[in-house]
Amino acid sequence: MADLTVEHVARIEGHGNISVSVENGVVSSIRMDVVEPARFFESMVVGRRFDEAPLITSRICGICSPNHAVTSIKAIESALGVEVSERTKLLRKLLVYGSYLQNHATHLYVFAAPDFVGLPSVFPLAATHPDIVARALKIKKLGNELCNLVGGRSVHPVTAVIGGFTAEPDPRKLEAFREMLLDIAPDAVSTVELFASFEVPAFDTAGEMLALSSTDDYAIYEGEIAALDAGWRRPVSDYREVITESIVGHSNAKHTMVAGMPIIVGALPRLNINAGSLSAAGRDALAKAGLTMPSRNPFHTHLAQAVELVDAAERCAGYIGRLLEMGGSSAPVPFKIQAGEGAGATEAPRGTLYHGYGIDDDGFITRGDVITPTAQNLANLDADMRAFAPTIADRPRDEFILLIEQLVRAYDPCMSCAVH
Amino acid sequence: MAPRVVVVSLASDFGCQVQLTNMEDDLLDVLGLMDLTYWQLASSGHMPDAYDVAIIEGAVTTTEHVELLKDVRSKAAAVVAIGTCAVTGGIPALANTAGLETRYATVYGGGVAVAPGRIAPAPIDSIIDVDYHVPGCPIDTAEFLRGLSRVLQGLSDHMPDQMMCASCKVSENACFLEVGTVCLGLVTRAGCKAKCPSLGRPCTGCRGIAPDANLASAREVFARYGCDPASLASSLLVYNTAAEVTA
Repeated sequence: MADLTVEHVARIEGHGNISVSVENGVVSSIRMDVVEPARFFESMVVGRRFDEAPLITSRICGICSPNHAVTSIKAIESALGVEVSERTKLLRKLLVYGSYLQNHATHLYVFAAPDFVGLPSVFPLAATHPDIVARALKIKKLGNELCNLVGGRSVHPVTAVIGGFTAEPDPRKLEAFREMLLDIAPDAVSTVELFASFEVPAFDTAGEMLALSSTDDYAIYEGEIAALDAGWRRPVSDYREVITESIVGHSNAKHTMVAGMPIIVGALPRLNINAGSLSAAGRDALAKAGLTMPSRNPFHTHLAQAVELVDAAERCAGYIGRLLEMGGSSAPVPFKIQAGEGAGATEAPRGTLYHGYGIDDDGFITRGDVITPTAQNLANLDADMRAFAPTIADRPRDEFILLIEQLVRAYDPCMSCAVH
Repeated sequence: MAPRVVVVSLASDFGCQVQLTNMEDDLLDVLGLMDLTYWQLASSGHMPDAYDVAIIEGAVTTTEHVELLKDVRSKAAAVVAIGTCAVTGGIPALANTAGLETRYATVYGGGVAVAPGRIAPAPIDSIIDVDYHVPGCPIDTAEFLRGLSRVLQGLSDHMPDQMMCASCKVSENACFLEVGTVCLGLVTRAGCKAKCPSLGRPCTGCRGIAPDANLASAREVFARYGCDPASLASSLLVYNTAAEVTA
């Protein structure tokens, strides 16, 4: 085998190349070159008004914009000392989960599945497996519509603002969505079964797994930062002390470490850390998936996402039930503009997302900081590629490339997020 | 033969392409009208050498983008710019309020130089002729489909010249300015059916400044309703250039 480069890896979000160097028939280096040009969001928010931070930073990623918007809002609220209502929190969770349904369905069916059936894209599947494509579109569409319902729009939600929501869904529509969510539960279970039927390479990552964790709920909206191996828990406000960023030559995305170790975030770490918080349906799905927890195989991310789909359908139906019964208001709460520093974190579909800001007395932003899931995963992806490549170096070139691409896609990377 | 269509992305958040994939109900119908030859987000195929329509998302931020655009223009019969990044430079062009050196220093630290080939963010039609524009952050899929069908029929560009404010009146929304809240609808290009104000949020100007807009008059309106006139230009900067917002 000779040196090779896979330019603009397809079926991932954003632009990234895989570079492989071979010396004397042995892979001497392999890495993900994040060629997405620098985007400067952390710098562009400086000097802007505090309420423009969610507007601007949600444009980091059109695929998980609800997650950026909610995380940015939480960080600004933390800086200004704003406490929102339980109703607002539940609506925000629905918005985050709408993004999960949309993102997980897209990643599983549009980005990942073609690899397992030997196709270049999902489009030919529409002719050969219309039921599978219909199922994918149904879950994805419900996710989008949930974001539309709660946020007014699935890409760059409108109604989620600092302090609450500018508009609320009609209760009759909420009720209808409860039924629709319960209706996709079997589709989500079929997704688990489909991905359980695909054979994946036996490979374990060495990276430390991180996720938010909470005793109250499957942690996607709030919780503490938890480490699987080291066992520690830290408040989100400590994230700059926990996670260190560094600049690497081959990437416009910074790499991150925790205690000198590469880390992995996303559905698999979440499930490993929070399996005890799964809904009943989620626990059944986990059993169907046949995963032994904790799993260290990054290729199991697909199954973990599928299990999360099952859990999300039941959990969101439950949130809607509470919203319909609880009363209260999600109208933005009043707050005072004052100087402060704040951090916010949520679990985006691809992993823990952090936003941090400083605000001056007049409400203008003095400092912006964003650490995205993919930025956290890149160092570990490079480490995994280095460990995985020698185990498949004897395969024909095309098969070698496909397997490496599959590893990359298992991380569900978002290069736009990584270079923000 | 169905027109061969490619989807190309420059500097963006992919949100407008996501909007394309979100046309679940229409996507397969639309695909029947055209031969979607290249779509990197959804397929591992390679960019072909011959095609009829190029749909381009994102702002121009590198010399590589410039070369790509020139190549696309030489091959495509029609070029469609989708999203505000492509149409006005959008949020990527917010970086132009400071020099690239400052941006690199703030984000990557003082020692990191401006990358080779990196240029100031700009809209697509600063580089090549664009046949059709679909503004919005993100695009509205119905507006995109109307635009695409016009392109496939060989019809001309059709961006509204008027301001969003009128649509907001038609929707009978309460006016934000009247209660002293900054809203950019009075200078922003119409066509969104006052989406945000109808959901209780002031216009953030995501479709760019309308050709018919009168900024001087808008500043007077701001002053009349107790909004700082300077905040008009400041707020418009998110989606427009410094030269445009002070006109």
